[in-house]
Amino acid sequence: MEIGYQFEPLHKEEITHSQLVRYAGASGDFNPIHTVVPFAESAGLGGVIAHGMLIMGFVGQAIGQWFSTKDLVKFSTRFRAMTRPGEKITVQGHVVDETAERWICQAEAVNDVGEVKVKAFFEIKKR
Amino acid sequence: MSTGLKEKIGMKLETYTFKVEKGKIKELALAIGDLREEYLNGEAILPTFPTVIDFWGGGASTSDLLGLNVKKVLHGEQEYEYLGEMKPGDEITVTGVVEKVYTKAAMNFVILKKEFVNQNGETILISRSTVIERH
Repeated sequence: MEIGYQFEPLHKEEITHSQLVRYAGASGDFNPIHTVVPFAESAGLGGVIAHGMLIMGFVGQAIGQWFSTKDLVKFSTRFRAMTRPGEKITVQGHVVDETAERWICQAEAVNDVGEVKVKAFFEIKKR
Repeated sequence: MSTGLKEKIGMKLETYTFKVEKGKIKELALAIGDLREEYLNGEAILPTFPTVIDFWGGGASTSDLLGLNVKKVLHGEQEYEYLGEMKPGDEITVTGVVEKVYTKAAMNFVILKKEFVNQNGETILISRSTVIERH
């Protein structure tokens, strides 16, 4: 591991309406902008949008492939763009810095045309 | 900004307690598609599991509490600081406060800080959520 090291990207399957319903139940976030198309349209969103936390969950999955999540000490995300059913997300990341005890890393969740949905920073305890 | 929102700085949020159930860990893993065995058998906790505690542990709608229009509300940012290990079976008590409120680019930003404390009184997680209300 060193600064600049690129992790193996995580390629997720296409997001479906069913997945958003399932995520609503699992997380308990039943805001209908994620599950009910007419409601989301009336909110001016042009259809349902994925829960930001689902996309953060994808990043969390990637971190679990790159490190042991037991070593994860900080994880922050900024939700940059809405994600909709039909989109395919890839999570990529790299090491940006280090301290004596930690690796400082960055990750992005992007769709297949490279639009950044989530930008994340996370810190890993060195073993 | 609606006149009421700035006055909410420092307001305490609802306190709630949630038991970390294996079934909810598995359900979240399946919904995300993060199918590691230790998640499916509920032995390890996903990094974003605290959101389950937020929604299933608390009864009150944050939007209602802050007087925000649910059709205009988006999740802007989320930060977790993991100070200790969360384990299946833990009883987690969450307290929260409105840390900051500001307006930028014709949107209201509300930062909620929450502390997650386990049954032994150890603070194991600090969460900061930025809620955005579009005008």
